[in-house]
Amino acid sequence: MTQRKPKMMDKVNAETCDQCGKCPSSCPVTVRIEGFNPRQIIAKVALGKEAELMKSQVLWTCTSCLKCKERCPEEISPYDVILALRRIAINLELPHPEGYDESVKAVVETGVVQQPQLVRTRNKERKDRKSMGLPPAEKPRDMTMYTKTLRGILEEDEL
Amino acid sequence: MKYALYLGCTVQTEQYGYEASVRATMPRLDVELVGMVGVSCCGFPPFSSVNELAWLYSSARNIAIAEEMGLPLLTLCNGCHLSFTETIHKLGNSPELKVKVNEKLAGEGLRYDGKVKLVHIFELLHDEVGKDKITAALTNPLKGFRFAAQPGCHSIRPSRVGRPDNPENPKKLDELITWLGAEAGDYPEKNDCCGSSLAVSAGKVVLDIAGEKLKAVKRRGFDGLVTTCPFCFKVYDNKQRAIQAMGGKEIDMPVFYYTQLLGLAIGLKQEELGIDLNQSPVDELLIRIGGA
Repeated sequence: MTQRKPKMMDKVNAETCDQCGKCPSSCPVTVRIEGFNPRQIIAKVALGKEAELMKSQVLWTCTSCLKCKERCPEEISPYDVILALRRIAINLELPHPEGYDESVKAVVETGVVQQPQLVRTRNKERKDRKSMGLPPAEKPRDMTMYTKTLRGILEEDEL
Repeated sequence: MKYALYLGCTVQTEQYGYEASVRATMPRLDVELVGMVGVSCCGFPPFSSVNELAWLYSSARNIAIAEEMGLPLLTLCNGCHLSFTETIHKLGNSPELKVKVNEKLAGEGLRYDGKVKLVHIFELLHDEVGKDKITAALTNPLKGFRFAAQPGCHSIRPSRVGRPDNPENPKKLDELITWLGAEAGDYPEKNDCCGSSLAVSAGKVVLDIAGEKLKAVKRRGFDGLVTTCPFCFKVYDNKQRAIQAMGGKEIDMPVFYYTQLLGLAIGLKQEELGIDLNQSPVDELLIRIGGA
């Protein structure tokens, strides 16, 4: 794994963290998943231990509730740090939940994360957009160009 | 009042009750919704966790379509609204990024300017349609019911980029509920997360997080939970049976999209509002609400 410090981590200002604890006390995950603690994540970034975080599965268990970002008195935003670390981890092809690859593939190829689903009523009847009287789902006008553009972006090294 | 309607992936591909109730109620309040041709995913998730430029491109692409239409951009989903807000913020602060995104958009003949008027469903209903118009349209006021408002994280945080309501004391959805003749009680769990984003990595934790709020709402004696966020609805309504099975305790909490209750209160039929798709136990409450 590369040892260079990713550019996108420069703006984090992790060293200004007071370790006040507002973020873990607001976090719905800290109380439920062992090892997930936004305060500790910022402490590790301040110590330059990003590589350790990127290898850890806890990175993927943030709910994106944004309470940590809202309440941080130093405006550090553990949330944005987590997203940035996820992007680097994926860029470096480190282990991450398969769901991300599946969603990315679906969006790149079809414009949406999933195709319109057949859903059930409470009485177990099947309904789709048409039987609900809804207009057909939208998709990019020039799908070939859309897919090509997104693939191009994803192939660029954003580190 | 005319708006470009951006549905987003979740509403357009599975949350048909939300879309149907929006399409049925808005014309009754003199709101004209214009479909957006050629739109795509806003980028949040998945690109926000994968590639920042792909995320900004995805949001800017849809904003560019609204700008081409020359209409305010209405979003139904909290996630899409925040994604567009953050994109406008980031591209507004970085001329280089804006140029880069526009280079990517040029292939499809699109151009992002960033001057679009972005409108959240709370802002449309609360600030633009307003109390007078909503109360004047009531034919079946929801008197005697008490609902818990679930605004959803991304409608209230992070305040530093500007959100539709207050981050620690949101009131708009509560007020919208009271304008239907119902009561909206404040409760300490209101601003808490539904957990739905964890579905991709820790499904059981989602049920635990969501269950905690549903149990609190039940304990506090509410008749139902009301939201406009498709992610919140997916968990509290669609997954309520699974939550109940995991916790072993009865919850039986009716969950509605606000626009479904609005529709009932202005005399629309359940079928027009897609209420047959709600999976939570709403039937008893619907009988009590009565109306059309």
